[in-house]
Amino acid sequence: MYQIACPHCGPRAQTEFTYERTTDSVVDPAADAHTAMHALYTRANPMGLDDEVWRHTYGCRAWMVLTRHRVTHEITAVKAIGPEALA
Amino acid sequence: MILPGNATVTETTSITMLPAAPLHALEIWGNPQAVATRVHKALGFALPVMNRSANNAATTLLRFEPTVWLVEGDVSVLADTLGDDAALTAIGGGIVRFRLAGPHWRELLLEGGVFDTSLAAFPVGAAAATVIDHVGVRLWAQSEDACVAYVPASYAQGLHHFWDDALPLLGT
Amino acid sequence: MSADKTRGPTRAKTGEETIAFTFDGTTYHARPGDTLAAALLANGVGLVGRSFKYHRPRGIMTAGIEEPNALVTVGKGGRAEPNTRATDLFVYPGMMVQSQNRWPSLAFDVAAIFGLAAPALGAGFYYKTFFGPAKHWLRYEAFIRRAAGLGNAPTEPDPDNFSQTAGFCDVLVVGSGPAGLKAALEAAEAGSRVMLVEQDAVPGGSLLRDPDPAIDPAAMVERIKALGGKVLLRTTASGYWDHNFLTLSQRLAEPGAVPPHGFAQRLWHVRAGRVVLATGLIERPVPFANNDHPGVMLSQAVRSYVRRWGVLPGQRVVIATNNDDAYLTAQALVEAGAEVVALLDARASGPAAPAGVTVYHDARPSSVTGRKHALRNVTAVIGGSEQSFDADLIAVSGGFVPVSHLHMQAGGKLTWNEEAQAFVPGETPQVCETIGSALHPPAAPAAAPAGKAKTSFVDFQNDVSLADIDLAWQEGYRSVEHLKRYTTLGMATDQGKTSNMTALSRLAEKQGVTVPQAGLTTFRPPYTPVTMGLLAGAGARNAGAHVRRIPLHDLHEAQEPIWQPLGYWFRPRAYPVDGEGLVAAALREAQTVRTVAGLSDVSTLGKFEVSGPDAAALLELVCATTVGKLAVGRGRYTFMLREDGFVFDDGTVWRLAENRYLLTSSTGGADRMAHHISYVRNSLRPDLKCSVVNVQEHYAGIALAGPGSRRILAALTGAEPPRHMGYAPGVLAGTPVHVLAASYSGERAFEIHVEATHAAEVWRAIEAATRAAGGAPYGLEAMELLRIEKGHVVVGGEVDGRSTPHDLGLGGMLNKAGGFIGAAGLTRPALSAPSRNNLVGLVSLEGPIPEGGMLIQRAGQSPQGHVTAAARRILEGGAIALALLEGGHKRHGEELIVTSPTRGEKARVRVTSPHFYDPAGERYRD
Repeated sequence: MYQIACPHCGPRAQTEFTYERTTDSVVDPAADAHTAMHALYTRANPMGLDDEVWRHTYGCRAWMVLTRHRVTHEITAVKAIGPEALA
Repeated sequence: MILPGNATVTETTSITMLPAAPLHALEIWGNPQAVATRVHKALGFALPVMNRSANNAATTLLRFEPTVWLVEGDVSVLADTLGDDAALTAIGGGIVRFRLAGPHWRELLLEGGVFDTSLAAFPVGAAAATVIDHVGVRLWAQSEDACVAYVPASYAQGLHHFWDDALPLLGT
Repeated sequence: MSADKTRGPTRAKTGEETIAFTFDGTTYHARPGDTLAAALLANGVGLVGRSFKYHRPRGIMTAGIEEPNALVTVGKGGRAEPNTRATDLFVYPGMMVQSQNRWPSLAFDVAAIFGLAAPALGAGFYYKTFFGPAKHWLRYEAFIRRAAGLGNAPTEPDPDNFSQTAGFCDVLVVGSGPAGLKAALEAAEAGSRVMLVEQDAVPGGSLLRDPDPAIDPAAMVERIKALGGKVLLRTTASGYWDHNFLTLSQRLAEPGAVPPHGFAQRLWHVRAGRVVLATGLIERPVPFANNDHPGVMLSQAVRSYVRRWGVLPGQRVVIATNNDDAYLTAQALVEAGAEVVALLDARASGPAAPAGVTVYHDARPSSVTGRKHALRNVTAVIGGSEQSFDADLIAVSGGFVPVSHLHMQAGGKLTWNEEAQAFVPGETPQVCETIGSALHPPAAPAAAPAGKAKTSFVDFQNDVSLADIDLAWQEGYRSVEHLKRYTTLGMATDQGKTSNMTALSRLAEKQGVTVPQAGLTTFRPPYTPVTMGLLAGAGARNAGAHVRRIPLHDLHEAQEPIWQPLGYWFRPRAYPVDGEGLVAAALREAQTVRTVAGLSDVSTLGKFEVSGPDAAALLELVCATTVGKLAVGRGRYTFMLREDGFVFDDGTVWRLAENRYLLTSSTGGADRMAHHISYVRNSLRPDLKCSVVNVQEHYAGIALAGPGSRRILAALTGAEPPRHMGYAPGVLAGTPVHVLAASYSGERAFEIHVEATHAAEVWRAIEAATRAAGGAPYGLEAMELLRIEKGHVVVGGEVDGRSTPHDLGLGGMLNKAGGFIGAAGLTRPALSAPSRNNLVGLVSLEGPIPEGGMLIQRAGQSPQGHVTAAARRILEGGAIALALLEGGHKRHGEELIVTSPTRGEKARVRVTSPHFYDPAGERYRD
């Protein structure tokens, strides 16, 4: 079980999080069909670091992008996404 | 059947289901500083920062999310401060509050948990959302001696039984 | 027991045996602190079990968790624990133990005759049977199933609870031997939060066998505790996972015992800042003929029994070694009064032996013969010639294997120590280090086995001998992974703790390579076997999950409904009266709704309050229908698409106020919808000025449906209810409510949403008024009959993740302006192909329509669709169904066959519109 440094809550157990998708498969709502389907079905799937969208679903419910190594499972960066977080 | 006010009490620990209270979600989507200033003025205390609480006699604010505060108690003074920047939504019907009291409440919350409830990680006044026995719960370290858990109403009885079962393990 | 009192295992000095226990029905006595193995040996019992495949007699080989032979079943009923190691079980009063894999008794085992069939049961026996004719396998199967095996799993439920607990520390130390104790104490003294884990019942590790007057384990443990550290005994670090997360299994009571607090075990989930592995060594056995007989024991185990438990595993002992450590065993035996007949050292020279012990160099054991509980004699090859010794025990040491399991589970690497012929922990990707003897195993040069390969056992638990490894090699199994699978070596409950290295060196020898070149198999958790109940925790009951209770659960329960699990929820399925069954009750309830009125609990619907200036913009992104044009106080049916254009949920959307909407969605999809909306709002459109709050549980929902519903509601609220698809706030039974005029049943109907804490008053008032008007409550089954007849789709039924809005007849409701999630995906040509499965109705021409049945035109044809939901006309009778049919929109009127081979049912049907009842909606028209 990973430990994920939530940008809002600090280090928390993976149990509290859900994986959404890699950032290269995020579909812009305004994208045309070809672009949208390319994003959905054609993933880079690198054997190394990849950027993934996760959510602290059972914690602060906020979304973030993890840079995670797909072999070692090392998480090298976590970036908050979503409405501007209030100080 | 577990009714509000139902409690499990051992020599050291009590688990009490608190009566229903007005609970609201306060979500701010714009002009955060301006809203914060207006709210501060209306309530007499500042909006708590992430994973913290702040309160006066009538109202407690707990911040579990970057843009959402749980408001317990009176919201009448808040409503006029929000403008087009924030909204209040009632949620109290779906949440059951438990008061876990006694010297072992931190230990009790480790049962089925994944969150570090030690004093250093979860000091008095802190708030945190986490998972206990697969149920999403929100915790407020109310005092040295007690914690309030906000539990989805549908899971309240299940979690109460789960905590009851774990009581004999505390302090062992 | 041995008749000869000068032979066999015994207690050196008896006197303090106060604990009575039984083994195979015979009562024995043990001392406090005895393991079952120590207690059995003290009572002269050397034969403890029968082997897995050949039913060979087996005894106690070790004094620790690595024990491959002495497996027993302890406890009774649901508390029985099979395959418990006798060396890892501390005797308690009244303990009941049974030996395993023997019939009719341990001493006389009929299946041991199968041992004679050993030539036919060698490596790859199972694989080979599969290559023969199938009937051969059928013949072997019964034989194998009866002959091979360990203990039997209990059939009764486990009466005990299992705890799962989170743990957090700066430093986790695994192993309380000298190295672990020192590391833990140092860390605690430096102010770190420390956890020290020990699988034994007492701290000390190797100090229990080789005491050091300068180290007092009990005092060090007290000191660690005084500094705030946590010391867990009877706790095994069984798994090392990502990011320094470890699972520890703690015994709160011995196997089979009644636990003091109702909890048998606890699974710790520990996140550690740093992990220190002081896991020590496991001794390697020595292969020689019949090396599996009771009376063959690891050298350090012998020393443990002598020093820790005051037990002599044998009285005339041969020691066989390739290292210096076994000389300490000779010393211990001599001190305890046993006779060391010979010390066989495979090396050309060694340290000084204790006085009176004859050492033979260049000496290796080749075979032993035995009696029931001990050996008879030991034969050795000494400098090329054979010599026999009258001995009841042979203490063997083939070197040492560092316990690197956790290090390897953590993703670590091993390095080869040639001098010790052992892999030692090397680099690790986690914040973890190995210390102590596991890092520095003693020198132990390789020594070639001297006995016959056939009965020179390597894996004792799975009955794999050197001959099996040789056979696998001959048959072409070259890689260690293939060898493992072909011979089953290392695949027993001990996971090869005592066998892997012996096998590996044999394989390397065959390949003509060094041991590290031959490779290693993967180390996987758990380190020692874990009870399933421990992994399930509290989830061992209630099918593993909490039941989600609806707010009115108790109120419904008072009417004794038939309950229906729906996801984690339980909802009333029907409210039978006068001994009705489900079908009769549901039909009566549905007829009541069609003719009078009924009320139903719809509290589990997904509900979201969306507010703010951009609330409509967000909803028009999530919903595939228009939302923005809704007037305040109006609502509409809506559905949501995935990004690929398929429908994944539906519901209704209501404009409560200028900038406030209520969105409902399906019960089963509520969590998914909450996640989806959050994704769209926060990840895709963080710029929107809006708030989305999940109010699924805040509001209880009560549906009131039927021609009489409007009058009933008007009387209850004192106000004219809103017209169809209208919304109005109201007060009912003194409680504020939302009234939504929506119909799922096809009748005039309302959903009354009320804060859940006040739902009971509102339900009671509506129920009383409804009953007074001749109506009744209705459950999910009646709701299903009503919606099928009306032709309304359900998520999980017709909305199966493969249907488009057009397929479901909803195409006309799509937001023409586009811009919603899924709009782009929907433009793909295949999603509007005429051959797609479309929603249709079916009317039976002959026979009831089987749900799930396939639609065909004639026998033998591939299915052209399937039945999604079957029902009957509520008032008129006659079977109807909803179905998804290829090109179905254009096939109304066609006759088809519905066939369900699995149910053996068939029907003739006519394809119709899916709207069987009031297609024009006149029942609720204003």
